[in-house]
Amino acid sequence: MIELKNVRAGYGTPDAFVAAVDDVSLTVHDNEILGIAGESGCGKSTLMRTLYGDFSGGLKMDGGKVTGRFTDPDNGRTTESDAANFQDLWWDVMSYVPQGSMSVLNPIMKVEKQIVDALPKREKKGSKAELRQRIVEFLAGFGLPETVLDSYPHQLSGGMRQRVLVAIAAFVRPRLILADEPTTALDVVVQKRILLMLVEIQRRLKNTLVLVSHDLGVHYQITDRIAIAYAGKIVEVGPTAEVFENPRHPYTEALIGALPRVGQKGERVGLEGRPPSLASPPDGCRFAARCPEAQAICRQKSPPLVDKAPNHASACHFR
Amino acid sequence: MRLLGQIATRLISYILVIAFGLTVVFFVPRFAPNDPVEAMLAKVSSQGAYMDAAQADALRASLTDAFGLKGSLLTQYWNFVKRIVLTGDFGPSLAMYPTPVSQLIAQALPWTFGLLLSSTLIAWVLGNFVGLWAGWRPNRASSRIMEGLAILVYPIPYYILALVLSILFSYIWPIFPLTASVHGAPWSFAFIKSVIWNSILPALSIVLVVFGWWVISVKAQTTQLAEEEFVRYARLKGLGDGRILTRYVLPNAILPQITFLALQIGLMFNGSIVTEILFEYPGLGHLIYMAVIQGDYNLLMGTISLSIIAVATATMIIDLIYPLLDPRIRAR
Repeated sequence: MIELKNVRAGYGTPDAFVAAVDDVSLTVHDNEILGIAGESGCGKSTLMRTLYGDFSGGLKMDGGKVTGRFTDPDNGRTTESDAANFQDLWWDVMSYVPQGSMSVLNPIMKVEKQIVDALPKREKKGSKAELRQRIVEFLAGFGLPETVLDSYPHQLSGGMRQRVLVAIAAFVRPRLILADEPTTALDVVVQKRILLMLVEIQRRLKNTLVLVSHDLGVHYQITDRIAIAYAGKIVEVGPTAEVFENPRHPYTEALIGALPRVGQKGERVGLEGRPPSLASPPDGCRFAARCPEAQAICRQKSPPLVDKAPNHASACHFR
Repeated sequence: MRLLGQIATRLISYILVIAFGLTVVFFVPRFAPNDPVEAMLAKVSSQGAYMDAAQADALRASLTDAFGLKGSLLTQYWNFVKRIVLTGDFGPSLAMYPTPVSQLIAQALPWTFGLLLSSTLIAWVLGNFVGLWAGWRPNRASSRIMEGLAILVYPIPYYILALVLSILFSYIWPIFPLTASVHGAPWSFAFIKSVIWNSILPALSIVLVVFGWWVISVKAQTTQLAEEEFVRYARLKGLGDGRILTRYVLPNAILPQITFLALQIGLMFNGSIVTEILFEYPGLGHLIYMAVIQGDYNLLMGTISLSIIAVATATMIIDLIYPLLDPRIRAR
């Protein structure tokens, strides 16, 4: 379980700080698939990196707290840590699936080596041949042939590469897997395979999967809960089916309304305008300028994220 | 089978390149205005030997024959090709007749090799090491100092640096000899020591400049690699810094550097003309310079052919081993 409390994270100096994640509180439960959705620049990648404890490239936490408690199902041992120390848990308790581009694997290293070199000590017990055998069996479970291990990244197709990335992350049986746009660059057939693979791994390990994607269709298919991000804030979070059926924030409603449907006639209506600048966010609700239901109070007072139904919270004054 | 085909193609182009190069080497000096036979005759008569016209004509004829200048250009060319292919012999030096060209080259080669191979390798290793560090940790004081040094020395022409070094360390503080002088029996300890002693200043002038170049190019390479997605991913996999540097960044950064190194080693057979002249260093560069000044066709052809063959060989070797280093090339 990971708990975020009033987290403020972003880039820059204290004088000129751009909070890509601003005052976000969120709980990621054990044994669930949580989706984080939102458009480009809404802070979902920053939120993801904060969850993973990846404070590089100038990302800083400016306030709040991220704590994690992970229980090993084999021996019941519990690990507690906070975001600043999560990196000690990387590829052991938590792992990460990047967006699989051409250059995400070392081009001159065989795939096997790139799997083995990140393994924690507990996985490296036994001989090399045994380890390889275990990896081969594991990959076979996802329809990946043994030849993959002796291949270089450029010899794999995009879909293969992405499946390998998922497999590398899952092989260490982590308690938490973070997947950052894992299906974005792929065609829909391959997309479906990857998503099914992610779900299968989660069901098998009974761990937590956090999936970041701008594609609501992806979230609808596999996530248990979904958090909608807008301009550095979480505006709505709840069980996925319920959020899609009964959105409690006008932004969520607009996002869902923009999805194409089978048999639909006429043009989809999009939202006017653009999200506000994160460098100087407006007072009040950040969505107010584009919201069809906005009233005077929306421009003055920022709505808190509160439960509107059991486990279903939104940040709107009216819903 | 495909591999064999590729190697065969590469070998054929290797031979063609050398053949073309040797042809150019044959023709270019023959279009130069100085006539080595007349120069030799002038040299003989200037030494006080008296010849009448008949003797001069006889000498001229035998020199023309000995220098390989008899007959039309095509006949000469044909004889030249035959000689090179069959025996690898470039004939006698014209200026230092009758010493064979091959002997002169053999004398100069160890000097040039000792100087250039060691300075090239030292500069390469140091430059890659420093450049890698400067690119990996660009904000450390040590990287900034080394990079500053590299940027400072890199644009200085090596001969200016050589001049400055020789004024400083041979004239103002006479630590090193101004011109090369070797003593001791061949390949004795004293001999090797004196060769090294003589080589330090010229080597330093080359190392410093080449070092700067390596640092700058490797640093650029490394900075770019440090931003690559696979390096970021390796970090997120929890790999340590040292491991990322040695397994992910270094092998990728070093690939182009290996190509450059091979070319540099090939070019070594040119000698380092200006450095060698400045330090009176009896290497290949010096030999080429003498050959040009004295219109020594055979010596010029010999030295330049050697450098053509060396560069062509270095490039071919690199082309052949590169697929072993970079799996992406293998696929093509």
